[in-house]
Amino acid sequence: MKLFEYQAKELFQEAGITVPESVLVKAGSSIDQATDKIGFPCVLKSQVMQGGRGKAGLIQFVKTQSEAKEKFDYLTGRGVQTILVEQAIDIAREIYIAITIDPVDCSTLIMASSEGGMDIEELAATMPEKIIREKVAAFRELEIFQTRDVMFKLGLTGNAFKQGVKLLLTMFKLFRCYDAELVEINPLVVTGDGNLIAADGKFIIDDNAGFRQQSYSLSRDQFDSDIEFEAAKEGIPYLQFDGDIGLMCAGAGLTNAIYDLVNYFGGRVANYLEFGGPNYRRAVEAMEFTLRNKPKVILIVTFGTIARADVMAQGIVDAVKKLNPEIPIVTAIRGTGEEEADKILKTIGFENLSDTEDAVKKAVALAKGGK
Amino acid sequence: MSIFIEKDTRVLIQGITGSEGSFWTKHILGIGTNVVAGVTPGKKGQKVEGISVYNTVREAVAETQPDASVLFVPPKFAKDAVFEALDAGIRKVVVIAEGIPVHDALQMRKAAMNEKAMVVGGNTSGVITPGVAMMGIFPYWIDRVYKQGNIGIMTRSGSLTNEVTAMVIKAGFGVSSLMGVGGDSVPCTRFAEFLPLYEKDTATQAVVMIGELGGTMEEEVAEAMEAGIFTKPLVAFIGGRTAPVGKKMGHAGAIVSGGQGTVAGKIEALEKAGALVADRPSATGELLKEILKK
Repeated sequence: MKLFEYQAKELFQEAGITVPESVLVKAGSSIDQATDKIGFPCVLKSQVMQGGRGKAGLIQFVKTQSEAKEKFDYLTGRGVQTILVEQAIDIAREIYIAITIDPVDCSTLIMASSEGGMDIEELAATMPEKIIREKVAAFRELEIFQTRDVMFKLGLTGNAFKQGVKLLLTMFKLFRCYDAELVEINPLVVTGDGNLIAADGKFIIDDNAGFRQQSYSLSRDQFDSDIEFEAAKEGIPYLQFDGDIGLMCAGAGLTNAIYDLVNYFGGRVANYLEFGGPNYRRAVEAMEFTLRNKPKVILIVTFGTIARADVMAQGIVDAVKKLNPEIPIVTAIRGTGEEEADKILKTIGFENLSDTEDAVKKAVALAKGGK
Repeated sequence: MSIFIEKDTRVLIQGITGSEGSFWTKHILGIGTNVVAGVTPGKKGQKVEGISVYNTVREAVAETQPDASVLFVPPKFAKDAVFEALDAGIRKVVVIAEGIPVHDALQMRKAAMNEKAMVVGGNTSGVITPGVAMMGIFPYWIDRVYKQGNIGIMTRSGSLTNEVTAMVIKAGFGVSSLMGVGGDSVPCTRFAEFLPLYEKDTATQAVVMIGELGGTMEEEVAEAMEAGIFTKPLVAFIGGRTAPVGKKMGHAGAIVSGGQGTVAGKIEALEKAGALVADRPSATGELLKEILKK
């Protein structure tokens, strides 16, 4: 789960990393109290998941009360629900620093660069030699000599150097103890008087560690659409797109391949939905979610490993009887019990196809109004 | 010959008394696997499909000398179960569980490297030598997919494996060793690490790799081919070529981030190294025929 900037900064602050003074303001309330506390100039930062907020105009620098009100209305008018009002800081230098995972040699990877403010992908593409890398092997801790090495390479001195060593050790502790996939501060600001302040924060917690990381629950703001949010709460993998062929497929790998095939044959996908694994008995819910994005046709492709074809077919029959979808449904449900699946689907007049490409082609033709 | 599991490989099943464990034990035995023991803490003395259950892996090892272990344990206990197997001296482990925390997977992979063991998974269907034995959850009775032959298959996906392998069989081939790398972002064994085994294996004439967007495993395979570590023909199918950037497409590892992990990049690297890449599953069989004619 990706945290919002303000949540990341709360974690930083609790752990002793300096962040700018700030107040969180919700859409619909007044910004006055916040600006009274923070003073001017200050920055209005939209708490949204998308990257590139600066370029998208979702971060606004304001100097006066009237300007603050105007920009606040502008941002909430664009649908932003939560805004972080933050003190403007005196920037002498900007640094990039992040901790992530190296899956090849099983280490925790620290990346740092003097080119703060730039995004790391851009940096890796244009100036890879400017990225400082330090690795911590699994079963090892980050040692002080390693943090010193990073700070020397960043060219920090005096107070900033000492703060940097402490900051990196703290980031590492947070990374391990919160099961993070990424902890990033970009930019880490060196102020005019030589102190370090985390001006931004990115924090991604591993979804698989949910059983031991229960501080954060899913919120609507983390998803691109209502349906994605509701499906996630139900534990059904679902992604919404803008095409007209609704997918109900089993297994992530097969679903991805079907997504590609629909595009290959000139169709467009309305949604990605995995109706397999632990969800293979939940055809009714799966079809309900699939219907919500108003597809012109539903394409059901499975080639079961654990999931039995006959059970899935029966689920589809039940779902069709209950939901009465007014759109055509194409099925290719294969795997254990597939002969039985053919018979079950025939009871509601469905011809279960055996070839994946035939099924995709048929769905694409139906979506275009053909037969 | 197989690269991981043979007819006489002595197999242990950890988590044998659970619903998944006992269900699949029946099928693991059904294909002909030499299962010697099961382990579930606190269930010593029980039998599952005639197989004796022990409390600990150490006990099972002392009594039955297994060479390999397949784990049917929930993801939060996967690390513990892998360490238990490694500590008891087992050097081949298959982890089926989906949803293992990334930090645990890092330690599992590191521990396996330290012990010179091969841990396969998590989030995998496992490993199968069709017609002989399996450590995993394969519907081996579907004969248009699981047929013996001389094509090695390695895959990041269970469901897509059936789809692609059916095309390999349809083209007249069979499978030597099928290895499920798994769909996680930190698999304990990576594609390229299977290649030296396939290279040595006399039963494997060529390899089909079923890859996916995200990560760098397919690029590592291209590197191994360029370096001459793997010299047999290789055909790949890579899912997610039209997937939107930044969306996690089902599998934890299936995401393009920071310009890394794009299918286009993988295809370019593989083709440059001499592999053929199928643009859809159905093309895999024909490409295999083509590359084996050369």
